[in-house]
Amino acid sequence: MYQYSEKDKQIVKNRTKEFLFQVKRRINGDLTEEEFKPLRLMNGLYLQLHAYMLRVAIPYGELSYIQLKKLAEISEKYDKGYGHFTTRQNIQFNWPKLEDVPKILEELADVEMHAIQTSGNCIRNISCDHLAGINNDEVEDPRPWCEIIRKWSTFHPEFSFLPRKFKIAVIACDTDRAAMKVHDIGLKLVKKKNEVGFEVFVGGGQGRSPFIAKKINDFVKKKDLLNYLEAILSIYNEMGRRDNIYKARIKILINELGEKKLKSLVENKFRKFADKKLSLKENEIQEIKNYFKLPISGPIKSEIPFKKNKQYTNWLNQNVIEHKLSGYSIIMVSLKPYNQPPGDATANQMKKLSKIAQEFSYGEIRVTHEQNLVLPHVKNSDLFNVWNQLKSINLATPNIGLITDAICCPGMDYCALATARSIPISQKISRYFKDQSIQEKIGKIKIKISGCINACGHHHVGNIGILGLDRNGEESYQISLGGSADENTNIGQIVGPSFPEKELMKAIKTIVKTFENNKKAKNEDFLTVFNRIGIDPFKKDLYETSNS
Amino acid sequence: MAKKLKGDSFFLSANDLKTGSVVYYDGKSWSSKIEKAKKINRNQIEKYENIAKNFENKCIIISPLFVELTDKGKIKKLRDIIRYKGLTIKI
Amino acid sequence: MKQVILKKDKILQNEYVIINDLKDLSNFNSQKIIITVEQWLANKNILKKKKNIGIKLNSDESISMIKDDIDFFKMIQFNFITFKDGRPFSEAKKLRVEFKFKKEIRASGHILPDQYIFLLRCGFNSVEIETSKKKFWLEFLEMDSGLYYQP
Repeated sequence: MYQYSEKDKQIVKNRTKEFLFQVKRRINGDLTEEEFKPLRLMNGLYLQLHAYMLRVAIPYGELSYIQLKKLAEISEKYDKGYGHFTTRQNIQFNWPKLEDVPKILEELADVEMHAIQTSGNCIRNISCDHLAGINNDEVEDPRPWCEIIRKWSTFHPEFSFLPRKFKIAVIACDTDRAAMKVHDIGLKLVKKKNEVGFEVFVGGGQGRSPFIAKKINDFVKKKDLLNYLEAILSIYNEMGRRDNIYKARIKILINELGEKKLKSLVENKFRKFADKKLSLKENEIQEIKNYFKLPISGPIKSEIPFKKNKQYTNWLNQNVIEHKLSGYSIIMVSLKPYNQPPGDATANQMKKLSKIAQEFSYGEIRVTHEQNLVLPHVKNSDLFNVWNQLKSINLATPNIGLITDAICCPGMDYCALATARSIPISQKISRYFKDQSIQEKIGKIKIKISGCINACGHHHVGNIGILGLDRNGEESYQISLGGSADENTNIGQIVGPSFPEKELMKAIKTIVKTFENNKKAKNEDFLTVFNRIGIDPFKKDLYETSNS
Repeated sequence: MAKKLKGDSFFLSANDLKTGSVVYYDGKSWSSKIEKAKKINRNQIEKYENIAKNFENKCIIISPLFVELTDKGKIKKLRDIIRYKGLTIKI
Repeated sequence: MKQVILKKDKILQNEYVIINDLKDLSNFNSQKIIITVEQWLANKNILKKKKNIGIKLNSDESISMIKDDIDFFKMIQFNFITFKDGRPFSEAKKLRVEFKFKKEIRASGHILPDQYIFLLRCGFNSVEIETSKKKFWLEFLEMDSGLYYQP
């Protein structure tokens, strides 16, 4: 795991000091709210429905057990005893007081954490494949690149007042676990003629107008990565629209200019402006790579304990993945327990999980963009023990990838932007599909729920996407089908008119039934069937059948 | 603020600058006790907008808004109900 | 609002005067004048005879509008319409890197002291600020550790 250098520590310390100064000026009126808002946003501090909300950065989703423990403590000391993990691998606290935030930031700095650039019109958290470094398919570990990009993008003097937010994701294999193609810039590490470089995608995004990123370069050399990113950001800063916040992302710019034009502008800028100082040298890259060496030296002989315990077996089947090194496993920790707000973890859960990670996972925890956690390196022989411990804190729900493992934004229960509630919907789904055998029969399916068009719940790329709207003061839900955030990224199609809240579950049940009725083989999953039969059978079953 | 308002009576609400808590204007100051909230008629909107602005300038509150009430004086919109009552889900 | 010029940590008076009507140009022979892009484009010929001219661009005006004449100006000023509009940061960088402009680049308009270090790092030399806010600008300068992630 990356460890802060003295420079990193000092920079975060300084930022904390600066923010304290800004808060003081705000409280005594030297800064108006209009002036303070972009500054507090750059420190991840929002004003939500009930209170302020602080979004703490978890760079590329990597946490140490020490950091997780501190997050637990902060939630107890300054908040209501829980935190919420987001679709950008960060964590949110929903009830901090403005006057406490400088203290919170100080405590975070003690464990090499911060809330820098988790909001605002700047470059946000760099997201990553949660199986980085521990899968067999990757070209090389993408995490060091996330760290290199993180540094480059932090307090960038030219790019701190962009037209809008900017999100970057990095993956390193054909399987996309980071929703790369719905990011402003998506980077894919590839190997061409024995050389490792980057495929560069630009202009993905969800929100009001979803777009899939377009490839603008087949191969950017490693040494040129930062200069190339500078070129893209510079063009965006200059040309991105500033007259309309709904048209201000780079996805709109590339759509308006066309791929070819944007590519030529970027290439031109890259040629003219490439700074030798930004060119990455092999030793610099290696220095960062050294932090990400696996804590394990090699494969071991370690067997998964066999127990005649159905719950344990279900959990092994659903939540445990083979590690790159044999003898080890990767545990997916579901934050979607039965009937609980998805993506939340209590202080107690975080504290206990921290201890589990320390003892069994070399101190490492990861956050996935689907709002679950990962224990990345667990010896097979420890699996039963770990399962028991996870079970005791309600973190062993065996539903990873199943229908109750939904992505869900905080929605109108928390968020000032929301047009409807989302959490109660995910809870209803959780209750209705509670039965494990039913879930397994339905198989792999991704439900994604957003409480407004900003799409923080990624509904556009859900196999079943649910968007909460306000129809004449009533909560109403629009369903889209066939979306996907993996390497075959696809924007879902709206199936028809939205459903009032009390009819939504019936609609979801109908959709599942239509899918089941059209399966050609037992193990066919939802997306396979949808891609074969299209949206019409679902439309028919949802809207043409008479009320029953 | 007042442009898109529908309805005849309102409460004036905001967030406390330092704590972020939801507060209501009771005629003199701000408190979380909605029972004390002052009922404002449509024709008084501008007056209370200015009052809110004053408190904003004094760094007491931020993000003032008008909460629409029903004929019976209850909060009308779900969003405002959630803002007052809190989460609709159990933690 | 009384305004002064801040150059690093020094407070100076603004030597550049705005000239509203270019017919009065001859009255300003010994002074540094600052003109708008509009004035420049409409009156290049007479203005080119003068020395010590600064030009003011609003944050929605690009240096490409004056790209053939950049060397002529003694000072180029970017006027931020709002501090949220970050285009001048890129424009200033372009001036330094692409056009190799070595003279003064100034920021004015709605800018926050919190942006001071970013401005300096992008190639700005000076800022037009409200006198009453100078202590904040200087505080930010002092807080700056000189530690950056970018060259």
